[in-house]
Amino acid sequence: MDILPQLLVNSLITGSIYALAASGLCLSFALLKILNFAHGHMMMLGAYIFLLFSLDLGNSLPTAGVLALVAMGLVGAVILSVFVMPFLRFSPLLPFVTTLALASMLEAIVSIAFGVNVRSLSTGEELTSWEFGGVFITPIQIIIIVSALVILVTMALIIHGTGVGRRVRALSENQHASQALGIGARRINYTVFIIGTVLAAYAGVLVGYETNLQPTMGNAYTIKAFAAMILGGLGSIWGTVIGSYILGLVENLSIGLDFGGYSLPAGYKDAFAFLIILLVLLFRPQGLFGVKKRSA
Amino acid sequence: MLNVSDIHVSFQKSKILNGISLTVESGETVGIIGPNGSGKTTFFNTLSGFATPSAGSITLNGEDVSSVSADDRAKKGMGRVFQNFGIFKEMTLMENLLVALEARNSIFEALIPWGAKKEARRAKAIEFLEEIHLEARANQKAGSLSGGQMRLLEIVRVLATGANLLLLDEPTAGVSPRMKEEVAAFITKVQAMGKTVLVIEHDITFIQKFCKRIVVLESGTVVLDDTPERVCADERLQEVYFGKKAVGAA
Amino acid sequence: MGAVLEFLASEYVIHLAILVCMYVILAQGLNLTFGLGRLFNLAHVASFAIGAYATALLSVEAEAGFLVCVLASMLTSGLFAVLLGGISLRLTQDYFAIGTLAFSSVVSSLLINWKSLTRGVLGIPGIPRPEIFGFDFYNNTNFLVLIFLVAVISQIFFFMLHRGGFGRFLRGQAEYDEAMLAVGRDTGLVRNISFLLSSATAGLAGSFFAYYLNYIDPSSFSLSEMVFVLTIVVVGRPGSFWGVTLGTAFLVLLPEPLRFIEIDSAYLGPARQLLQAVILFTVVYINRRSLFPPQREV
Repeated sequence: MDILPQLLVNSLITGSIYALAASGLCLSFALLKILNFAHGHMMMLGAYIFLLFSLDLGNSLPTAGVLALVAMGLVGAVILSVFVMPFLRFSPLLPFVTTLALASMLEAIVSIAFGVNVRSLSTGEELTSWEFGGVFITPIQIIIIVSALVILVTMALIIHGTGVGRRVRALSENQHASQALGIGARRINYTVFIIGTVLAAYAGVLVGYETNLQPTMGNAYTIKAFAAMILGGLGSIWGTVIGSYILGLVENLSIGLDFGGYSLPAGYKDAFAFLIILLVLLFRPQGLFGVKKRSA
Repeated sequence: MLNVSDIHVSFQKSKILNGISLTVESGETVGIIGPNGSGKTTFFNTLSGFATPSAGSITLNGEDVSSVSADDRAKKGMGRVFQNFGIFKEMTLMENLLVALEARNSIFEALIPWGAKKEARRAKAIEFLEEIHLEARANQKAGSLSGGQMRLLEIVRVLATGANLLLLDEPTAGVSPRMKEEVAAFITKVQAMGKTVLVIEHDITFIQKFCKRIVVLESGTVVLDDTPERVCADERLQEVYFGKKAVGAA
Repeated sequence: MGAVLEFLASEYVIHLAILVCMYVILAQGLNLTFGLGRLFNLAHVASFAIGAYATALLSVEAEAGFLVCVLASMLTSGLFAVLLGGISLRLTQDYFAIGTLAFSSVVSSLLINWKSLTRGVLGIPGIPRPEIFGFDFYNNTNFLVLIFLVAVISQIFFFMLHRGGFGRFLRGQAEYDEAMLAVGRDTGLVRNISFLLSSATAGLAGSFFAYYLNYIDPSSFSLSEMVFVLTIVVVGRPGSFWGVTLGTAFLVLLPEPLRFIEIDSAYLGPARQLLQAVILFTVVYINRRSLFPPQREV
């Protein structure tokens, strides 16, 4: 049981990454009512673009970071206008299929451009870990936890305390009523989606440092983001954030703990997200905090 | 101030509006009635910018707004109250009003959570809430209000945007009989402010309290356009609501 | 003329023909649930995988015969469908899509991690060809005849479903869900049956997949495979029997010219994947008005 603190810290790290990824997904869901099947692939793309700018092209990390963010912002705008907007007015199910196609396209393009082999963003030097009372943590991991906190708290402040946040909340509740008050839906939809894309890309970069990158990793992360959202309750950002940390907890505890001498093979870690989705959908479809009814 | 000229609107292969023309003067109050499916809400949707006409034009204060987006029309002074409540139920009453008051702000102004202008807006919001006697519940979620209170809030919210043309879609829907009086009284207050009001309603007695002009829609066309007394006396009204056979029987 | 016949009889063409037969069974299954019923079943390829692994394991570990393997594949896939139907009844279409995606991922995860059963990413090699009446099915021409017969039988089966009351019913519940319930028809039962049938046939296709390739591993049953089958159904027009048949041939044959261009073999797979995804997107865009008709009110 003395590995518990370490497991909890690991959960915090994993949960932070998921929270960053899933909150972007949640925002676009709240506004556009679409489920973006390519979300994990956007994370993957962000990481690979960062890889391109930093390791392959030799830019310094901050420069590469800015370039990657700008690139992903543009990608987000393109994705929204090509793969989502033209289809929304005919049926909300169409974007499912188009984002599924997008996911496949991104996988193929990245495979061609970067090869299918596993790559990692970390070059080894960042692996020195520090110890605090029996718990090991690397600088990158600290950055993950702290940056997630800062970003999430800032988002909370903006959403609940500013006029912009009020507009976003209004739009997510009732698009027509908001427009009838003079709120421009188009600009806000784009802005929120782009922010979500950039957040996903950042989460992807963090994954690249923490573990490895592979063109096919997108799918698993899309499902994990969905799992966090469904667990927390579709449409509730806080639910999604909490769901993300719970998911991180479940993953790490299930793999790390010994159940009477039997230890679950690490490969099953991903399966928990899938199971959570199924269980929640079966027993409590509105999630822990959900219940935003879908309004017009 | 509003001129609608020969509007045609189709939806999924069926024609909903078949050439509607209407002129409304500034300060007028017009009631719009008609059986279900006659196109009343679609008419409002077209005016507000949520439905695109295949033909015809809409002019607001002399400006052609037929291809102007919904939110821009709102900024030009067109306000809308929705049949199934456009109130943001998860937001507080104060926030509902702030959204309306801030609607013309730029992104940068909207991002800063402090400042003198904020205080002024909050004060104004309270003023509006006082008009409908709900200032005490300013920080409660709008979803906790009764139907009639939500309706009043929605109307006052539209006023907060500075709208001069108000489109009220079935303001008594979901409102208890007792509150209907309050809603009618409030609409009269709105009239007194000099606003132009179009009201869709089923309840003719309700409309007669403040309308001097009633327009009857049927199958997407204007069938009658006259004072309430003359419309009610007109045979065609019976036809529209009860079918031609009933007229013969009566 | 002689050269054409020779080409047609070549191993390459026979190989393509076998693939078309196999995929037409798989695609028509999805055409049932997604095409007719507009049920967004993203776990279809998981049924395919289960069928393939059932046959692989039984024929390799237990040296079971052809009939046993095929039936076992169809049965296990069918059981999987029962689970699927269990969740579908309660969910609306969008949640259902996620649910099936999750199901599919669980299966994928098990295939990779349950090493004692599936040998994980190493896969199962050495799957023998079927042994029936002493025919040599290592001869691809013979194998083609066998799979062609099976494909024709299943095509007839699907055709009858499309034409008959079942197909009408399935189509009906896609568009008039509430109306159907009002008339007293049990939409849940119809959906479950369609899952059962589509899953069992996917298992059948999977069985032949294992028999033909003689080696399977989890990577053959990934997202790109699902997108491939979905593309076939969308291109062929969902719900159209002949459309999906032709669509299968079209999409199996379409990427083949890529083989003759001088591309590095490492790029061949992703290139094919990209081509299929672009086709899927294009066809969806062209058909965007009619692909998911809105639920019509009574």
